[in-house]
Amino acid sequence: MSYSDKVLDHYSNPRNVGSMDKSSSDVGTGLVGAPECGDVMKLQIKVNPETNIIEDAKFKTFGCGSAIASSSLATEWVKGKTIDEALEIKNTEIVKELALPPVKIHCSVLAEDAIRAAIGDWKKKQEASKPAVMQAK
Amino acid sequence: MANTESKSSLIVPGDATASCWSCGTMRATHFCSACGKVQPPVPVDYFSFFGFPRKLNLDAALLEKEFYALSRRLHPDVFVQSATQERSWSLEQSSLLNDAYRTLKDPIKRTEYLLRLEGVELEEQSKQATEKARATGELKKQVVPPDLLEEVFELNMHLEELRAQKKMGEDDPALLEEIGKAKLSLEEKNGALFSELKSEWKEWDAAVDSGSEDERKTIRDKMLDVVNRRNYIRNLLRDVNEAIES
Ligand code: FES
Repeated sequence: MSYSDKVLDHYSNPRNVGSMDKSSSDVGTGLVGAPECGDVMKLQIKVNPETNIIEDAKFKTFGCGSAIASSSLATEWVKGKTIDEALEIKNTEIVKELALPPVKIHCSVLAEDAIRAAIGDWKKKQEASKPAVMQAK
Repeated sequence: MANTESKSSLIVPGDATASCWSCGTMRATHFCSACGKVQPPVPVDYFSFFGFPRKLNLDAALLEKEFYALSRRLHPDVFVQSATQERSWSLEQSSLLNDAYRTLKDPIKRTEYLLRLEGVELEEQSKQATEKARATGELKKQVVPPDLLEEVFELNMHLEELRAQKKMGEDDPALLEEIGKAKLSLEEKNGALFSELKSEWKEWDAAVDSGSEDERKTIRDKMLDVVNRRNYIRNLLRDVNEAIES
């Protein structure tokens, strides 16, 4: 199978590889996997609690080239977006941008899942910390 | 990729009681029961191809016996003198025979095949779950359990480290030991999952005889869950072995 230039670019030069402190309250972590192939992807976001804007994003993917490219692209796309905007990102847009063939669609699904999971994790942390903040006042 | 078998290889059950093209009496799946002529393949599933019920505890010896008997009868040598049409039917029948045998013989392939017959789209699970999550705004239920993902991720980190070390010509006994331990635990899990699957086969087979549709669905989904987890572990074990041996 031949990869598109954009996939190759992200694959050989992935953006935002790395990790952030999972326990930090403004970091959301999404860890997801594709049962189709057994690949795993971790995507983390750092959100400004005042503005709900995603200030930073990191990923680490163990998987095929398309999964690496999809997650690399996903981190680029979410940065600077509010969490609501980030939730709008659909795997089909990733497919289009990277020109993924049909057998690689699940790789882009993984990236969308990772974004959602990271946001979900962050939201959970926010809710958990709210009552504590009120008590402190 | 794990699942290379495409959905299109799935053959839906059809009418195997049509009449023989040659003598007009009732035909069987492979040969006419009256005149013995080879028949054009009818669209049946692999279980029906061998005349088996759609059950998972399968008599391996019987399967093998049937396979060899049919292979002999369908062998191209038998048809050298036959009409072109019959020759091509015998070829089609024998390729079907080989596919059916290979699929049913392997316990995991057999289970996956049955899941497909029962309406599970193995390759589409993730996408479907994502679409549902998107529509409802809920968090997607991960097809693979979170604790397993965590383990898979950790081990992959270790493997990456190991590969990097090997490249530099270093080696770190502590890391190797860590990976060795993880490998053992994965193999154990693999074995445990297989036993779990086998006990679900029993439930499934019983439900085929006397269960309701809902019961069958529940068991089907349980089997799917085990198959998914096992795929993960199998891929990981493959990577571990590659990294250790490289
Ligand atoms: S092949 Fe599975 S994520 Fe790409």
